[in-house]
Amino acid sequence: MFFHIVLERNIQLHPRHFGRNLRDNIVSKLMKGVEGTCSGRHGFVVAITGIENIGKGLIRDGTGFVTFPVKYQCVVFRPFKGEILEAVVSMVNKMGFFAEAGPVQIFVSNHLIPDDMEFQSGDMPNYTTSDGSVKIQKDSEVRLKIIGTRVDATEIVCLFISCQEVSFFLLRFSL
Amino acid sequence: MSGEEEENAAELKIGDEFLKAKCLMNCEVALILEHKYEQLQQTSDDPMNQVSQVFEKSLQYVKRFSRYKNPDALCVLGNLCPETVEEAIAMVPSIRSKGRAHDDEAIEKMLNDLSLIKKFE
Repeated sequence: MFFHIVLERNIQLHPRHFGRNLRDNIVSKLMKGVEGTCSGRHGFVVAITGIENIGKGLIRDGTGFVTFPVKYQCVVFRPFKGEILEAVVSMVNKMGFFAEAGPVQIFVSNHLIPDDMEFQSGDMPNYTTSDGSVKIQKDSEVRLKIIGTRVDATEIVCLFISCQEVSFFLLRFSL
Repeated sequence: MSGEEEENAAELKIGDEFLKAKCLMNCEVALILEHKYEQLQQTSDDPMNQVSQVFEKSLQYVKRFSRYKNPDALCVLGNLCPETVEEAIAMVPSIRSKGRAHDDEAIEKMLNDLSLIKKFE
């Protein structure tokens, strides 16, 4: 789910950036350093939407660098355990399939895909129900439930999705 | 770590800071990101180079999964709670406008759904 949240971060600035454009420099350094990053606690920082305030700078002893505490508003994407969300299938193989929901990679193991869905290999590998009515292949849209997340240094990978919620887009209103 | 363990979105256990934060609908995120993207387009020639992969992927995702093209209209409908199709069209003429597949039946269904939400609250 996307959230609009206020976060705080200390920005260290070299003295050569001081002057009239101090504020602009702080903001652009913040954007470079924060946008696109990910932490286990707050998820992916997608975009900074505004600066709440910039605190008083503190000069670091011995270096001349100044640290400014900056409060900023941003849009974050944070997947939660138990959340149901929609995703686009990016790869299908016999172990299961991968899907993407925004910046997040999701893996659905074949143990969690409904039993009546069979894996079909070929140039378009897919999972199909016995009557052929539902087919999960690359680029399909699925609705799934997150049952666990794992945080790597740079990205959250959601692992393991429970099966009953894996459904095709057309079925979304039957949830 | 205990907070992390108990996290469960199905029961709205999502940690204090996220409960305080405002959660956004996909269509709202799309508006924000597109606005930001336009700003970038004005300041540089190649905006795709400027934005992070996370931004790009999120934008694609929210565009694909936006249910509503116009959150303002949704807001009006939510606030005013019209009961009949005529009322709804009078308040938000754009739900009938070109390019949307909303016929009377679809609008009626939508209004019914909205009143259902009211009942369950």
